[in-house]
Amino acid sequence: MPVLIRIAFRNLREHMSKSIIIGSLIALGVIIIVLGNSLIDTAERGVHSMFIDNYTGDVFISGVSKTPGVSVSLFGVTSPGDNETTPLIPEYDAIASHLREDPRVGAVAGQLTGMGLVTLEGNDNRTMSFLFGVDPSIYPDLFRDTFLVEGRYLKTGEEGIVVSRGWLKNAEKALKTPVKVGDKLIVNGFGRGGFKIREVSIVGVVDFNAETEGMDMIAWSNADTVRILSGVDVSAEDVVLSREQTALLDAKSEEDIFGASESTMDAASARSAAPSSPSPVQGAAPAASKAGGSWHFLLVRLKDSRQAEAFTAETNAWLTGKGIAARAGGWKAAAGPFAQSIEVVRIVFYVAVLILAIVAVIIIMNTLVISVIERTGEIGTMRALGAQKPFVWLMFLVETLTITVVFGVIGIALAMAAVGVINLIRIPAANFFTQILFGGKVLRLAVSPMSFVSTLLMVAGVGLVSHLYPVIVALKVPPVRAMQSE
Amino acid sequence: MTIIELKDVRKVYPLGKVSVQAVRGVSFAIEKGDFISIAGPSGSGKSTILNLIGCIDTPTSGIVEIEGVSTAGHTDRELTQLRHDTIGFIFQSFNLIPVLDVYENIEFPLLMGDGRMAKSQRREWVDSLIVEVGLEQWRRHKPNELSGGQRQRVAIARALVARPKIVLADEPTANLDSKTGEQIISLMKKINRELETTFIFSTHDANIVGIADHVIRLVDGEVVENTRVAAPAGAR
Repeated sequence: MPVLIRIAFRNLREHMSKSIIIGSLIALGVIIIVLGNSLIDTAERGVHSMFIDNYTGDVFISGVSKTPGVSVSLFGVTSPGDNETTPLIPEYDAIASHLREDPRVGAVAGQLTGMGLVTLEGNDNRTMSFLFGVDPSIYPDLFRDTFLVEGRYLKTGEEGIVVSRGWLKNAEKALKTPVKVGDKLIVNGFGRGGFKIREVSIVGVVDFNAETEGMDMIAWSNADTVRILSGVDVSAEDVVLSREQTALLDAKSEEDIFGASESTMDAASARSAAPSSPSPVQGAAPAASKAGGSWHFLLVRLKDSRQAEAFTAETNAWLTGKGIAARAGGWKAAAGPFAQSIEVVRIVFYVAVLILAIVAVIIIMNTLVISVIERTGEIGTMRALGAQKPFVWLMFLVETLTITVVFGVIGIALAMAAVGVINLIRIPAANFFTQILFGGKVLRLAVSPMSFVSTLLMVAGVGLVSHLYPVIVALKVPPVRAMQSE
Repeated sequence: MTIIELKDVRKVYPLGKVSVQAVRGVSFAIEKGDFISIAGPSGSGKSTILNLIGCIDTPTSGIVEIEGVSTAGHTDRELTQLRHDTIGFIFQSFNLIPVLDVYENIEFPLLMGDGRMAKSQRREWVDSLIVEVGLEQWRRHKPNELSGGQRQRVAIARALVARPKIVLADEPTANLDSKTGEQIISLMKKINRELETTFIFSTHDANIVGIADHVIRLVDGEVVENTRVAAPAGAR
């Protein structure tokens, strides 16, 4: 064994207490990093199953907000004050057919998002719900992790609503009465056209493979119902409303609606009416597709989700090239505020890791500097006996790297044990936010081999950075110090 | 044959806001094979002179020549190589590397420097030095398991291992009892005679000064006596 490695190893053993102090700190840091990485990986996977597999798809295309720099998600425009309506996607048919021609695409579907206050006839209580307006002939192809537990899916052209098991439970709790398949719900919508009311039947109840309560805030409806509730034109060619019906859809107060003998209407009656004058609502969305009606979003499911980033970039280039005011984004863009919360957690974790690394560097550096100061006589003697500066530098480098790698591996082993214990305990998620973080209702951590490699590299990096200043101090030790040591 | 020459050498150390003149215009020559004592009271500049000769410190002014070559203008790497090839050190506090055993401490200088010796040759040479200093039984012992005299014997063997022409010993007997000190000086003298290695040692012990062939006495950084008692080894 080369003499410098022999000296380095024996010095570590000789100064065991110092080695253990530095090593324990490194091991603790490694445990925190491995567990944190594992939590982020778990959240990432949970997010994938929660968002991509359930309602965002791999790529999401929306119109562009009127306010520069403001993003559009599946939950609308996140502008300050939230007073901007969700833009309609322009040239829907052209974009959809372009996407469907791509061999990487598995399925494409349009979607509208609205919000509604839901109640039952004669019930004074209300519950708030997101409403996703979908085409039932295509939409289930995108999200196969959703499965029917009661009733049936919506049929094409049918008016109705499909809810999740959790949604049903929440509604029962809020309305203080049992809610079941076949019940007619009264939904109050508020969009750019004003205040609207629709009556829709619950046709089915679904559940999800992902264990999450996040989906319990969403109900799926036929697209026209959401269009009407949100004040979006129903279908540019098909729907022509009478003056009375238009006035009813455009109602801005409860008096406008309840003042008439007919308090609610459905899309069928809207369609059956055929006065010649176009609806003012139609005029509000001139860029919308005439063939398929207006849509807020296009959701794309790829055959291979790993291609999402490249596909998004290419789609954006195509949209720009065609001059279409729409933007493609990944699941994070689609999930909007929910994805942002994950990003916040990630940033907080990385900042914490950075602070930990800086603290570790300072402590290791300080301990090594003390070690150098204690060994100036020894270093001076080596230099006097003919050791060049690189020898001294390598000696400290070997010491630092040995300590960091050995205790890094110990830290990884302890972290693995901690992961095992955490998984055995089955820590439950306390709320929706922790569900996103845990990727389910119970925390089940998994550690990827890449996490080990990246942690070890980071620890080695910390070791390398930590040894620099002590080595500079050591290299400044003149050989004459050998004469001055007692 | 002159192996070391100091010409009007001065060394000034800054000490806070004042400067301390440790060596004040010292000039002398040392012959090859000399067994020379640099004597003087504490603070007279003995150690500074040894540091300058050993190239572990540089003069403020003046010239230090080793084998006719001035050490001025040498880089740190060149001075380190010069020390390794030409000079052996024996320190007052022994300065053994605590984590290495007797054999490894003696072997250490052979592992430094540019020219490397074959492992078997190295082992043979180190072992012969261990025998020479009488430490065969202590070959695998660490410094903290040895007495002061034994440690200084290790230091002597280590100083000789790279076959230097000059061995510098800074108060080599200061941390030893008088009997052990005499034994160490006798050993150094024996090696001086056998290998014709130039030994330069600093001391303020009058008994040890008496054994030297050449005495340079310093007071307040100046040479007050430069006396040759006997011819250098190899010249007799």
